[in-house]
Amino acid sequence: MRKLSLILACVFGALSIAFTILPMDTLAFLPIGLALIFGLLTLKKSEEKEKKFPKIIVLLVAFCSLVVLGKTLVIKDEIATDAQFEQQKIETKQEARKELEEIEGLE
Amino acid sequence: MKRLLYILSAVFVFSSFAPQKNQPIKSGEKLVYAGSYNMSGLMTQLAQVTMSTETVSTAKNAYLHLSCELSTYSKWDSFFKIRDIYESYVNPVTLKPSLYKRSIDEGGYTKKEKYVFKGNTVNSTVKKRKKPETQKTFTIGGSTQDVISLLYKVRTMDFSKFKAGQTQSMMIVFDEKQIPVTLKYMGKETVNAGNLGKKECYKLSIGAKTDALRGKDKNLIWLTADAKKVPALLKFSIPVGTGQLVLTSATGI
Repeated sequence: MRKLSLILACVFGALSIAFTILPMDTLAFLPIGLALIFGLLTLKKSEEKEKKFPKIIVLLVAFCSLVVLGKTLVIKDEIATDAQFEQQKIETKQEARKELEEIEGLE
Repeated sequence: MKRLLYILSAVFVFSSFAPQKNQPIKSGEKLVYAGSYNMSGLMTQLAQVTMSTETVSTAKNAYLHLSCELSTYSKWDSFFKIRDIYESYVNPVTLKPSLYKRSIDEGGYTKKEKYVFKGNTVNSTVKKRKKPETQKTFTIGGSTQDVISLLYKVRTMDFSKFKAGQTQSMMIVFDEKQIPVTLKYMGKETVNAGNLGKKECYKLSIGAKTDALRGKDKNLIWLTADAKKVPALLKFSIPVGTGQLVLTSATGI
């Protein structure tokens, strides 16, 4: 039982780190929550001398949750200025005007 | 990729239904939405959707250009960049479309569509990445329109006369064919409408005979219960999950 919860804590811990680095927003709380649950469960099932590793996992995951929370509160959702996209919009509009004139010519 | 196509298709399809009377839609209107997708039970903000209107003139006519753009937030761009444009050029009074264009770029997958409306006939041209261009001509009904112009047209409907549960059937052009859409009025609810504050809204359920939408009464739109009928909130349910568009800013209305 301890081994299983330790493996799951490790797996979700690794996912927590990956999700924290990636722009997954609050979705990162999913592996973080699971890693915490299995980490704490492992701690509970561990002998005194076996507690070091699960403690590291729990602390690491707790740190991840702080980073995710900080990113959620500090980083604003905004779109980048995209010159290529802006140019595409201008060209599309010019094309459309020509196409509309062609349609009018057919009527 | 398929998931994003479903999301975008769903947003536009379920937001589209036919009007009963026309009122002019103002040129210069700009509505900005925050698009979120439900990932494992948590709503994750993914993209900004901007809907705007402007007048475009040719030598003979003036058209209302209805534009809908979707751009992923910059934090997502390095992982999965989306730049989509949906456009409709319509008669400013009747909102009858003359030209509908769709250009999508989703993580490198590109697709361009063009629909030319001539009376009851539509000529469509589709070009997908790494595939030859295809053309199709099909017949439509007198009141069939493209999805973007219908989204604007619905705002001309008088929902004050609707009773809860009342439905209306309509037809739209989508994916190179004409498909039926059903609108159900579900009553009034107060929702947050961005810079407009909390607003009483008409709650409407949309059903379409397409794979893009799933569930009964799970594709919903809230329109402010005033003369402007601004879409304040849109919720959609698609084969790969659920999501929503929340109005963040409305200007020029």
